[in-house]
Amino acid sequence: MCTLKVISIGKHFSSTILFKDVSFVLNSGDVVAITGWNGSGKSTMLRIIAGLVRPSAGQVEMFCDNKPIPKKARRQYVGMVAPALALYDELTALENMEFFCRVRGVAYDRKSCFNILERVDLVKHAEKICGTFSSGMKQRLKLVQALIHKPPFLLLDEPGCNLDSRGIKSVKNIISDQRTCGITVIASNEKREVDYADSIVNLSN
Amino acid sequence: MFALTTLVAVSFSIGSFRIEESQRPFLYAVLLWIILVFSALSGLSRSFVKEQESGTMDILKLSARPQAVFLGKLFFNLSMLGVLELIIVPAFILLMGYKIKFPGCFVAMMVTGGLGLGAGTTLVAAMIAQANARGALFSALSFPLLLPLIITAIKGSERAAYGISAAGWPEVKIAAAYAIIMVTVSLLLFPLIWEE
Repeated sequence: MCTLKVISIGKHFSSTILFKDVSFVLNSGDVVAITGWNGSGKSTMLRIIAGLVRPSAGQVEMFCDNKPIPKKARRQYVGMVAPALALYDELTALENMEFFCRVRGVAYDRKSCFNILERVDLVKHAEKICGTFSSGMKQRLKLVQALIHKPPFLLLDEPGCNLDSRGIKSVKNIISDQRTCGITVIASNEKREVDYADSIVNLSN
Repeated sequence: MFALTTLVAVSFSIGSFRIEESQRPFLYAVLLWIILVFSALSGLSRSFVKEQESGTMDILKLSARPQAVFLGKLFFNLSMLGVLELIIVPAFILLMGYKIKFPGCFVAMMVTGGLGLGAGTTLVAAMIAQANARGALFSALSFPLLLPLIITAIKGSERAAYGISAAGWPEVKIAAAYAIIMVTVSLLLFPLIWEE
């Protein structure tokens, strides 16, 4: 059982206020969509939850089995996909997976990596250099990277970006699977992606 | 390439005959360390900048422990510096006719000096990775940080070449201490630099 508490979060860059006093609580199985105009801070909100950006006000708390997760340990519990996150173009898909397994301290198992690749229809391209991938294939590999350590907190920033119908179906399946084991936060204005969510946090309000 | 070009330029313009023999150990030590330091400054500054430019910095922050990232970059930079020294130092000795009376001490000075240089430049490279004027900032920050090491390394190399009593061992110890302090401080400070 995991819980995500976003408490009175605010963020501003010099005199520009992105959002202020945003609060919500999610438990395992919940899917929330963060929506808002361009520049309203959807991606920044996800980056704050992931611990990549410090909020100007408020705090993010994570709990697993009623135990608080220290900020330093959050990377083990969070999986994130975002347009700004890039993979290593000089490595193959499988080498990227092996690298992220090793830096995350997850035992590298070729078979389970192939299973994850199969979920996003990338098995045929496992040994290909990432630099040769299309933007859609790179997006699928980013999803793989986010799932490699089975995170209880899955943060998806525009997850359907550049994906074809099969890729979009994979995203839907991933979110559906995540309901059984954790929390999903989606940042998007795409109706299809917002529809996956049970609740909406609109940063434009 | 920078190191090779500088080495060739120095060896052609100065060579082994234009300097009085008594002055050679000191001047050669200065020239050798100038080549090594500026080669390190031009090459090693990119270790973190590459992550920033290719957009892999955030994914690395999300995946790896800061200390693991720093040690990975440090070992990469030290390997690069080791290869550089393996090529440049023998070539310099051959081209300039650099006579060293205590080769063991000279090698120890190169190793400890290289370790200090690698540790110092890796820390500064991490600090400037997200800045705008990276090139200028890297030189400006590296200079005061590396100056004590450079002076020590030049002195140690000179004493090893002269073969004077106690040789360069005190300098070797100072350079080793500098490297240890720099790595320890870097491991403590790097998580603060790495996070926003």
